[in-house]
Amino acid sequence: MRTAITMPFVVALSFVTSAIFAQPVAISPEGQKAGAPDVAINANGQLAILWVDRSPQDNASAGHDHNHDRHLSTADLYVAISPDGGKTFNAPVKVNSAEGVVWGQQLSRPRIVGTSNGTWHVSYAANDIHPTLKKTLLTTHYTRSVDGGASFEKPQRLSGITGQDMSEVIHGGFASAAAFGTMTAAPDGGVHVYWVDTRHMNPDSDSAALYGISSRDDGKTFTSEKQLIDTGVCPCCQLTAITTENSDVLIGSRRVEKDSFRPATVMKLSNISGAASERRSIGGAPWQIGGCPLKPTVIATHGQKVFAAVHNGGETTPGVIFSVSNDAGNSFEFRGIVHTAAAVSDAPSVAVNDEKVLLAWHAKVGNAPRRVFYRFYSLSGKPIGDITELGSAAGVSQYPIVTVKKDGDFQIVWQQADKVWTTEIAGK
Amino acid sequence: MRHTRIAYLLLVALAIVSASITHANERARPISATEFRAILDKERGKVIVLNLWATWCVPCLREVPDLITVANELQGAGVTLIGVAVDDPSPGAAQVESFRKKYFPSFRTFARQGSEIDELASVIDPAWNEVVPTTYIIDRQGKVTKRIQGKRSAEEFRALIKKSL
Repeated sequence: MRTAITMPFVVALSFVTSAIFAQPVAISPEGQKAGAPDVAINANGQLAILWVDRSPQDNASAGHDHNHDRHLSTADLYVAISPDGGKTFNAPVKVNSAEGVVWGQQLSRPRIVGTSNGTWHVSYAANDIHPTLKKTLLTTHYTRSVDGGASFEKPQRLSGITGQDMSEVIHGGFASAAAFGTMTAAPDGGVHVYWVDTRHMNPDSDSAALYGISSRDDGKTFTSEKQLIDTGVCPCCQLTAITTENSDVLIGSRRVEKDSFRPATVMKLSNISGAASERRSIGGAPWQIGGCPLKPTVIATHGQKVFAAVHNGGETTPGVIFSVSNDAGNSFEFRGIVHTAAAVSDAPSVAVNDEKVLLAWHAKVGNAPRRVFYRFYSLSGKPIGDITELGSAAGVSQYPIVTVKKDGDFQIVWQQADKVWTTEIAGK
Repeated sequence: MRHTRIAYLLLVALAIVSASITHANERARPISATEFRAILDKERGKVIVLNLWATWCVPCLREVPDLITVANELQGAGVTLIGVAVDDPSPGAAQVESFRKKYFPSFRTFARQGSEIDELASVIDPAWNEVVPTTYIIDRQGKVTKRIQGKRSAEEFRALIKKSL
């Protein structure tokens, strides 16, 4: 294994104007408690980094509680746009309208995607109040920017509200929850949002439903929500979604099975028929856990290939596993634990260009704190080179997210010391 | 001699019950890793059942009442239950405390104060994989003897804890 790269470090930008950089840079400004980042690229090559800012919490504790009637969350969402693929970034823009309503963290991170005409789409879970029950809800919200990320429209709620009161089932936290969601944009222009829904959760099970909703006009309007899986979805494992070249959607989720087995799975939604395939396990040792594994199944695709990674607690040493499908997700070949030298590895993210796959994750090696690592794989799923520790400041670095850019290079974002950082990883 | 031994046992039992009463209805509060280590050190000599949970974790919320029941049953044998909520920090652990107070008022639980989810868990398990619920059984010498992931029944907890007595 290669040792840590030591790179010169650049201090956080002031965001008065755009700034050019080539080394890791803090995107979130001083004074914010930033985390749970996401990154996306649009067809114009612009890059967007989204993050959760928890500093409104501090304002609340200081007596500036602007969220007193929705006391279960105190976070905002920000986005910084790079018009040149990550070389410079504009000043961050706040995404949500109502103050401090965002329910987001590393394990239920808000999502951003870009579409071909430059629109940025953001989905996130937020606190709501049930109109008649007057109890707190978690609902899935959506907003978009049609001016290149300079401003965002007033968010709209995508998930439905029923008369069901599940607050006793989930011990009073919420009357229902539509969270742990994801979003993807298809080549045909479709924007799809999915979430895990507890509105019909059986009091005796740990099993939720999967709902989805789509837009065919770049986020202006959405279809009615649709229940795609009625039960058997892990209630607290974030979903992931990507689209194939023909605009089918692949969804990563964790299945709740008999005797508390919780395999990581991938299912396909047909763009033409809307039909959902069975959820296919990506393999690895069976993980039997009647709990919240909290581990998203991340996926990337290139032609018929699907690359999947997830933390699997069923392995002898729990850690990130990697699997490859050669048949568009109908079956997977398990390729094993990714970071065997780590005491624990977690939070994988995967992206692919025309030549290779980039897999990033965080891990603890020896007595070192959690750090971000990455490795390349060929399109056949074979490792290329060694595992590399991402060059970043000392201390804990974690929760990486990677995306591929138009030129084939990769952009990585991660969380470190209440800041969101980013840099480029050469992909060619 | 026999009377002395009985008196001693009564005193020990009284001490355990007193300690339990002291901790009942103790507010959830944010603590640092250093403080958490000190709390665990103070409980040395008891079998500690340490439960990592979160307010958004449905299986966690379902198993806490069972853990409380079993810990109360085995209190006389020197078993103590400590919770650690891994929720994102909220001012004064308000979010965690509101749950505790409403649903598990006798649950002695702490919350993390920093941004790292494993801030407190790492004190006893640096390789914790951020799964909740995770329950550790720590013996009287302070050594973790069992890591249990996922919701378990009262019967399962009872059997597992008894093995460490």
